Amino acid sequence: MSNLSGLMEGRVVLVTGAAAGVGRGVAAAFGSAGAIVGIGVRRPEAAEETAAAVAAVGGTPVILRCDVTDAAQSADAIEQLVRDFGRLDAVVHNAVSGRSSEATDFENTTLDEWEDHASVTVRATWRLAVQAYPHLQKSQGAYLLMSSPAGIEGSERAPFYSAVKAAQRGFVRALAREWGPDRIRVNSVAPLAISPALENMKILEPERVKRIEGLVPLGRLGDPETDIGPPSVFLCSDEARYVTGQTLVVSGGRFTSL
Amino acid sequence: MASSASTLVIGSSSGIGFSIAQRLRTRGDSIIELASTLDLTNAEAVGESLRSLVGSGTVDCVVLAAIDPSAFRSAPIVSLTESEWDQAAEYSMRSAFVALQQAHGVLADGGRVILILPTVAATGIAGLVPLCTAVETIRVMAKAVARRWGARSITVNTIEVELAAFMLGDNDAGDTEVPMVPVLGQPALPPASAVDDVIGLIDMLVTPAAGAITGALLVADRGTVMQP
Repeated sequence: MSNLSGLMEGRVVLVTGAAAGVGRGVAAAFGSAGAIVGIGVRRPEAAEETAAAVAAVGGTPVILRCDVTDAAQSADAIEQLVRDFGRLDAVVHNAVSGRSSEATDFENTTLDEWEDHASVTVRATWRLAVQAYPHLQKSQGAYLLMSSPAGIEGSERAPFYSAVKAAQRGFVRALAREWGPDRIRVNSVAPLAISPALENMKILEPERVKRIEGLVPLGRLGDPETDIGPPSVFLCSDEARYVTGQTLVVSGGRFTSL
Repeated sequence: MASSASTLVIGSSSGIGFSIAQRLRTRGDSIIELASTLDLTNAEAVGESLRSLVGSGTVDCVVLAAIDPSAFRSAPIVSLTESEWDQAAEYSMRSAFVALQQAHGVLADGGRVILILPTVAATGIAGLVPLCTAVETIRVMAKAVARRWGARSITVNTIEVELAAFMLGDNDAGDTEVPMVPVLGQPALPPASAVDDVIGLIDMLVTPAAGAITGALLVADRGTVMQP
């Protein structure tokens, strides 16, 4: 584990979509930085493993029911953190549609499929910002969106996923300017990391994973906790106090021209 | 552009889409336009309308310049209701999807899709978060379909112009309020008509010589924002 010790000591962070994958890794990284980590999940029973990972590295886990497509749930999650710990320093919006790893038949699909993606990645991005604003204004905190390289270069297989991830980058640039006077920083990370789907593929199709890894100059896919977590913590910490409106591509060099 | 070619202009009821359609029509190009009353998020209606306009034929070029006017209202995001956010940001995303999807059904192999967007997303603008969000979404949606439709030799490219030029086109009557945009640079080139600039790029993109250009972003702002 990287040495994040003390970087977010006593700070309060909400991570959405934190039950598994990148969300879990990022939550654990905030834990190792000393944060109180709100683990936002749709089903609290699915968050136990993340909570254990946060606690194991010295953080304070708080499991929160937070389906980001439900305005009341995300508002309650934020209010609970503020009520119990007196502050909110950062929101990391990582949740994606449950259909995000599915291929989209753009020419034949309907707006229902678009809505699946947009409700989680576009509308909730706006709504979480609005709900967190007074608290982030008070703490001069940070809003971090977990975007994707697909949101920069476009994906043939996943046109909706890439479009909504692009939405987050446009949002970041504009909101960074809008919230700059409040000293709230707004950034995004575009990670290339092992996901639960790729873990499964490693077992079922190891050669395919090797081919993917072969495209990465550093020779492997990113680990959510040790590769994606530290840059995410950095962007929310005081060490990044002069960084806003940026997308940091964390891909082992896989994407160099974005 | 060859006079036998037909161009579908979506978003021709106002702003730069109106001016592009007018210029192409005036010089004798074959132009197809959707009714300005059509809801661009209604896939069935858009599809039916296109089929009735195109018949059993195809179009060679699609120019898409459709951003909902509500996106041009400058307001902090915390002041927006959910329905205002939806109209200002997500409506234009949905309409871009529907327009591209339905246009694909009438587009000839080797055809050209050209999206016209304002440059706002490259830098971000306070007060215009919904617009910047929508524009970046549409930019990358265009790249994704460029990848999908390349096998049919269809190219998909984006031309960006300054916000005022996008909103007004040739209309300098002063009856449209353009949001204040911070000056992020001075144009390197002398001023000229943005519509002329865009028409020139459209003419270039429809030539066979431009058949290898797809998924590209061409910024026609006379060198104001030179992206890194």
